[in-house]
Amino acid sequence: MGVIGQPALGPGAEQDALLRGVNDELQDRGYVVAQLDKLVNWARSGSLWPMTFGLACCAVEMMHTACSRYDLDRFGIVFRPSPRQSDVMIVAGTLTNKMAPALRKVYDQMAEPRWVISMGSCANGGGYYHYSYSVVRGCDRVVPVDVYVPGCPPTAEALLYGVLLLQKKIQRTGTITR
Amino acid sequence: MDEALIDLAEHVEAAVGEKVAREDGGEELVLRVGRDALLEVLTFLRDDANCHFKCLVDLCGVDYPEHPERFEIVYNLLSHRHNFRIRIKTSTDEDAPVPSVSGLFSSAGWFEREAWDLYGIFFSDHPDLRRLLTDYGFEGFPMRKDFPLTGYVEVRYDDEQKRVVYEPVSLTQEFRTFDYLSPWEGPLPGDEKAESA
Amino acid sequence: MAEAQIRNYTLNFGPQHPAAHGVLRMVMELDGEVVDRIDPHIGLLHRGTEKLIEHKTYLQAVPYFDRLDYVAPMNQEHAFALATEKLLGIDVPERGQYIRVLFSEISRVLNHLLNLTAFALDVGAMTPMLWGFEQRELLMEFYERASGARLHAAYFRPGGVHQDLPEGMLDDIAEWASAFPKFVADMEALLNENRIFKQRTVDIGHVSLEDALDWGFSGPMLRASGVPWDLRKAQPYDVYDRMDFDIPVGKNGDCYDRYLVRVEEMRQSLRIIDQCVRDMPGGPVVAETNKVAPPKRGEMKQSMEALIHHFKLYTEGYRVPAGETYTAVEAPKGEFGVYLVSDGTNKPYRCKIRAPGFAHLAAMDFLSRGHMLADSVAILGAMDIVFGEIDR
Repeated sequence: MGVIGQPALGPGAEQDALLRGVNDELQDRGYVVAQLDKLVNWARSGSLWPMTFGLACCAVEMMHTACSRYDLDRFGIVFRPSPRQSDVMIVAGTLTNKMAPALRKVYDQMAEPRWVISMGSCANGGGYYHYSYSVVRGCDRVVPVDVYVPGCPPTAEALLYGVLLLQKKIQRTGTITR
Repeated sequence: MDEALIDLAEHVEAAVGEKVAREDGGEELVLRVGRDALLEVLTFLRDDANCHFKCLVDLCGVDYPEHPERFEIVYNLLSHRHNFRIRIKTSTDEDAPVPSVSGLFSSAGWFEREAWDLYGIFFSDHPDLRRLLTDYGFEGFPMRKDFPLTGYVEVRYDDEQKRVVYEPVSLTQEFRTFDYLSPWEGPLPGDEKAESA
Repeated sequence: MAEAQIRNYTLNFGPQHPAAHGVLRMVMELDGEVVDRIDPHIGLLHRGTEKLIEHKTYLQAVPYFDRLDYVAPMNQEHAFALATEKLLGIDVPERGQYIRVLFSEISRVLNHLLNLTAFALDVGAMTPMLWGFEQRELLMEFYERASGARLHAAYFRPGGVHQDLPEGMLDDIAEWASAFPKFVADMEALLNENRIFKQRTVDIGHVSLEDALDWGFSGPMLRASGVPWDLRKAQPYDVYDRMDFDIPVGKNGDCYDRYLVRVEEMRQSLRIIDQCVRDMPGGPVVAETNKVAPPKRGEMKQSMEALIHHFKLYTEGYRVPAGETYTAVEAPKGEFGVYLVSDGTNKPYRCKIRAPGFAHLAAMDFLSRGHMLADSVAILGAMDIVFGEIDR
């Protein structure tokens, strides 16, 4: 567990040695000692469950991120259909005035700790629809946002990078207390 | 215009007489109808064997604030059997109702709701004339030319009231519109020669 | 036994529901598990596109069309480009027309891949989605190579297409097209005779021919009901009249037939793609009039006039003669029309977007009445709705 909080080790001899060390200790004594908050953060960032909440165009790219080529599953990220089970909300697309109360309600239903990724320029600040009479000029007017992913729409790689940044943020700032 | 379309126009004019007036639509057939004759003309177009316009493809409003009757309602019909398209136009103002064609074409139901929602065109005898696209409790008719692009209200989550609240619009930067009318076109102020010529 | 009082049950479906394909909210009145009435609430993605277009120049309005039906962006641009060209009275060079047809068909495959696999997911089959999205990735690479964007291409402009295809791309498309039928066969092997899939779709959401016309259906929804109607054949635009392809037609007008029609349409699209690759002529891709298309970059460095044209085009835009037109294309979902009114300035006076999904969703109540609650999800999936174009 020593890797958390420090720069992550890439694959290589160093990483292998560390893993072997942990493994040996487990074999030898049957347990390892770790700091609880780091363990919790490791668990949280390793199993981010976002909610399937596609609003507009960005939802297509979000689906692509989840599907075969970019495969979010390998980061422990599994889309959940219910807000009660998820801890990340990806606001993927234009948020309209009519949708805003529903979005907030869904956010309120999510259990703590929860995070929000704002995906695409419409969610970031209205984007191409900024001056429209029916569009919220940025979803941060309605929910607090942790990571902004720019682009119209952001490519699947960009969203993936945003998710990885969120993992880093959780490891850096997460606490056990709510 | 196509030979067949001209035949069709003459056929329609012969059948319903002076209730329709042909308009110049380039390649497309455009007929203008009075509000009171609308249902009759559309019924004819739908049921006549030579027309057979069974499908109302589109219905929309257009706003011309300077016209005496500011709204135009445009019906685009398609005949699958004869491969024709026809456009029927009628007009109205803010108050006068237009007869609903939802009894003739089922698809008109939502199109008319949309026109009511965006323009405030009232359709009489519509079974369910509610707003369709705009926000719940929206005020005004957004597609009218006198409705501002950015509207009047915007939403924000209020932390104290714990709900989404509506507030008057405040923009950090105005929408930038430019006047592209070139000063070299049209008469210049004080250019007497242009007026006399 | 005393009669029990049975009350109808009202269910709120959405706006956040994984099977709603976006932001649909439906208020359903249920009698037990049978649907009595459905009242779809749309507009949760109403972005005021038509109003915004009235405030932008013709060129600035093009990207809005990408964002309508974001599953097949280029088909929408096609309708707008054709409408504007009709008002301007300009012709597109042959190569430009071929490229447009080629990419229209690629978009059609893109759309059907997403729709069919998501539909299968709605009724319980996960694998087609994972396979289909890999094919979508391959197609989006073509998008990216041609236009620079994976999704919102802004590639079809009035006058032609933005840029010529990069070298070697046609060969890659041909290579993909030769490998794609295997995927279609695999997908069909998973679904066509699948007992669960058939139980969920056969005889669900049946529409007769008369009803389909009455409700303004188009595209696969209409063809599944047995009308051999396709705008690419009936009112051909660009070079579709030179293409050799067939129109698949269904017999029963149920969800299963809609699925079969779409699968066959993918095969027909491949035929068109093959023909485009084979017959692609050389020459310019955009109308060579500096009033509509920007001058070449190299030219601008030499000629003052070209520089002025470039500046004028990207600030003021071009003026379109007064007039109006209704122009429709066969988008993957059905007839996508643009009713464009110009008053002679550089901005459209009115641009009404006729979305095929709008008419289809309007019939949701009619289609689901008397079906089970779970069937409404299958009907919705087979309808192929995308909220960008319905709510606009």
